[in-house]
Amino acid sequence: MRIRLSILAYYHAVGYEDTHLVSPEHVLVAGVVALLGAPALVFWHISYRLRGSLWLTAAASGLVAIAAVALLVRDSSIAFDLWSPAPYAQLAFRLDPLGAVFAAVIAGVALFSGVFGTAYAAPRRTDDAAFPLFVLSMVMVAGAANVYTFLVAWEAMALTSFLLVLGEGSSRPRRQAAVLYLGMTHLATVFAAASFFLVAHHAGSASFEDMGRGPHLSGGLASLAFVFAVFGFGTKAGLIPFHIWLPRAHPVAPSHVSAVMSAAMVKTGIYGIARVAFTFLGPGEPWWGSALIIAGAISAILGVLYALMEHDFKRVLAYSTVENIGIVTMALGAALVFRSYGLEAAAAAALLAGLVHSVNHAIFKTLLFLGAGAIQRSVHVLNIDRLGGLLRAMPATGTAVLVGSLAIAGLPPFNGFVGEWMLLRSLVSLASAPVASLAALSGLAGLASLALVGGLAIACFVRLFGITFLGLPRSPEAAQAHETHGLMYGVLSVLAVACVAGGIGAPALVRLLRPVTAGLVGTRGGAIEASNRIVLDSGGSFSPGLIALCLVVAAPIPWLLLRLAFGRTKRSRGPIWATGMVFRPSMQYTGTSFSKPVRLFFKRVLFPEREVHVSYHGTSPLPRLVRYSGRVPAFFEERFYLPGRTAALWTAGRLRLLQNGSVQVYLLYVMAALVMLLVIAR
Amino acid sequence: MTGTEAALLGVGQAGGLAIVAPLFNGLVRKGKARLQYRKGPPVLQSYFDLAKWWSRSEQVADSTSFIHRLAPGGVLVTVVVATLLVPVFSWRTPLTSAGDLFVVVGLFALGRALLTLAGMDSGSAFGQMGSSREVAVGALVEPVLVLSLVALSIGSGSTRLGEIVRIADQDGAGAISLGWILAAASFAVVLVAETGRIPVDNPDTHLELTMIHEGMLLEYSGRSLGILHFAAMLKQIALVVLMANLFVPFGLSASSAGGYVLSFGLLAGKVAFVATGLVAVESTLAKMRLFELPDLLGMAWFVAMLGAALAVLA
Repeated sequence: MRIRLSILAYYHAVGYEDTHLVSPEHVLVAGVVALLGAPALVFWHISYRLRGSLWLTAAASGLVAIAAVALLVRDSSIAFDLWSPAPYAQLAFRLDPLGAVFAAVIAGVALFSGVFGTAYAAPRRTDDAAFPLFVLSMVMVAGAANVYTFLVAWEAMALTSFLLVLGEGSSRPRRQAAVLYLGMTHLATVFAAASFFLVAHHAGSASFEDMGRGPHLSGGLASLAFVFAVFGFGTKAGLIPFHIWLPRAHPVAPSHVSAVMSAAMVKTGIYGIARVAFTFLGPGEPWWGSALIIAGAISAILGVLYALMEHDFKRVLAYSTVENIGIVTMALGAALVFRSYGLEAAAAAALLAGLVHSVNHAIFKTLLFLGAGAIQRSVHVLNIDRLGGLLRAMPATGTAVLVGSLAIAGLPPFNGFVGEWMLLRSLVSLASAPVASLAALSGLAGLASLALVGGLAIACFVRLFGITFLGLPRSPEAAQAHETHGLMYGVLSVLAVACVAGGIGAPALVRLLRPVTAGLVGTRGGAIEASNRIVLDSGGSFSPGLIALCLVVAAPIPWLLLRLAFGRTKRSRGPIWATGMVFRPSMQYTGTSFSKPVRLFFKRVLFPEREVHVSYHGTSPLPRLVRYSGRVPAFFEERFYLPGRTAALWTAGRLRLLQNGSVQVYLLYVMAALVMLLVIAR
Repeated sequence: MTGTEAALLGVGQAGGLAIVAPLFNGLVRKGKARLQYRKGPPVLQSYFDLAKWWSRSEQVADSTSFIHRLAPGGVLVTVVVATLLVPVFSWRTPLTSAGDLFVVVGLFALGRALLTLAGMDSGSAFGQMGSSREVAVGALVEPVLVLSLVALSIGSGSTRLGEIVRIADQDGAGAISLGWILAAASFAVVLVAETGRIPVDNPDTHLELTMIHEGMLLEYSGRSLGILHFAAMLKQIALVVLMANLFVPFGLSASSAGGYVLSFGLLAGKVAFVATGLVAVESTLAKMRLFELPDLLGMAWFVAMLGAALAVLA
């Protein structure tokens, strides 16, 4: 005690404001080392809940998250060199405020998913070993100090998650999903690397710090680097039309891995776009931002529409990730337009909207994917048309998923509303800002799209929750549902509380993230007033706490007044009214019938197909058999990727002429390549 | 405005609207009946209906969860808090800086989510059908609502409803532009759709082919049913007042007692005007087929977009 006091006195004497005895550096290193060591624990005995590797991953992720948040609070960065295996190839770590936001998101998601996984995931050694490495590689992506480290971490992230998607003893659809994922993620790597190399070449250095010093590119080259970055990182983030791997890869992985992929890994794509666009490239052209707004709007609208057409709980969630990534991309786009016109305060406000939504999306998407895991463990079915009535069998899980659904639908006072409000407000500012008409109109288009997406997201998540958790079970499996292990619904409940706290306490999050926008566009972009009101520099204010308080205070008043004026009334239970017939669960709506109005309202976007075949018996006017089938085709897969795949296979077939199996010929190729290299490099 | 003043204004505003809401409903019903050469129910019939529902016991389906029980109160509360952000007698609103038009839209959306979930709770196909239609129509209405309000906010530079009205009141007749008119036209479509009236929905029917709002309430009875009907009436009057004050933004800067009386009279006139419009629309149009709604709402969206674009380019 005495020693501690004297240390405090010393800090005070030297004017050191920070009295923490352990620095974020130490905490971060401890977390990273623990993640690196965690796979070793799979050689121990593993079974449900007795999962050294997952528990250690969760603990280590907690440390990394604490360190990252501490960095944000202090508004500082940390950097250290790790290892230089060869000249030009130096593994170096540097976590600045932008990276810290994403490291905190990744580690936070991994913390909850890891704990959930100990009770949820089937004990398989490869999965448990790959999980901590997957988390570590994502943290390294956020904390890479140069292009080399970034690409190594990026590749490690792709391979470890590929292993997790593939799983053990995998089925054909799972293998296909994994291979598609691997292919798409390498397409992402190619474009991302091209963008980095363009900048690094002109900066004369591959370190992110040097690349961020002053714009090294201008004009067409800068635009090229921007487009490459959007293609590459947009593929990882799941922007349409690069989204096709998400709805396949995310659902087949175990739910705790799906949660990390969908809530955290896609954010590395957002991080990449933000890193390149805001730190490497200068103010840029106004069309960058407008294009990003439109691309984000298309992703958001189509993402939520496709989500509404899906039947698999996890595929709905995967498409909803496409939607939310679209929303974040719109925010980045609005920030870029503002920055290109030198409107830094407004740019910071829009960027803040994107970051806030990224963080909040991580919370509710983790909650929902883990909720899917709880359903999987309890019912072993994720087709919503075979579920129903789960809320009464699984009250804790159901209530948490309800909160998550309201949050992801962007409703106040939950956390999903905050980022969307900030973005809506930023888009209004863009529409009325002193910018070119086309840029202002892109803001208006974004606004209209975001309002549509908000309405459709309500439809999507009312459908998902209502069909799954309300009504009566649609199958015998669903009728057998039971609440899962306390550890699982405990994690879900904590996340549900976070959804509410993130909504009411949004000003605290905004305060935490302001230094990041300061680093990227020069000003802070938003202020928090004493009354916990968010005030954006571009105009507009919102105090979520006061709104929530009004909702809570007003809630009992009508009830009390009615009780006073009309007295108590009785409630009695009875059967459902089914027009006088005996009610059967098969009379209920299914997910397909629920989304029919939307499917027909948007038939020119979704191209639904419907086939009714009626066959008659002899001359009888009564039909003998009516066959009905309907589907919503996967437009992008069938129109773009299938022809692309055919073309690629054809080309590969031609190229096989080169690969004739003779070693001498191969030696000739090596020789020729060497000569060419020497000629070029001379 | 101090906290006490804001609280008083809030109670007065929410209470006033709550008292008037059933009357407005009765007036529209009476007007429709008179246009059809019927005598119609008394103007105060909605009060009698509410009193009847509120004093009756209720029957609840076996298969329902806590959502069925909590939703009516939840829906009502979202509407009550939304009215606190709407300028009623004056451009000053009780929750002036706590939220703007997007918060009002968000609160209405929260109410819609709770109501549609409640409709699905029992498992009755009628409720699920109503919910399915409500969320689909709601998804089309929301962009129109946002765009028509944004068209006004771009002109005034604020997204707070009170500020929009105050600035327009200062500008006087100068506030009325082509964009303003287009926004008003599209908001009128929103009003019809959001209050569940012909041609989007029919408040007087229980035919499964046509109903939206009534379908969701089908498993409700007694006090809960009364609360849900009352919430719908309150939302209707809030939207009517919002429309009246946004698009005829005069006489809302009262500061004296006399001024308040005058603005109250003006408000009554404006609301009566909107009510006449609703009566005329409901009496002269037929209900549209559900799958033709995108045509109407798409048109309204286009008009609102045009209005907002004009405001941007102005």
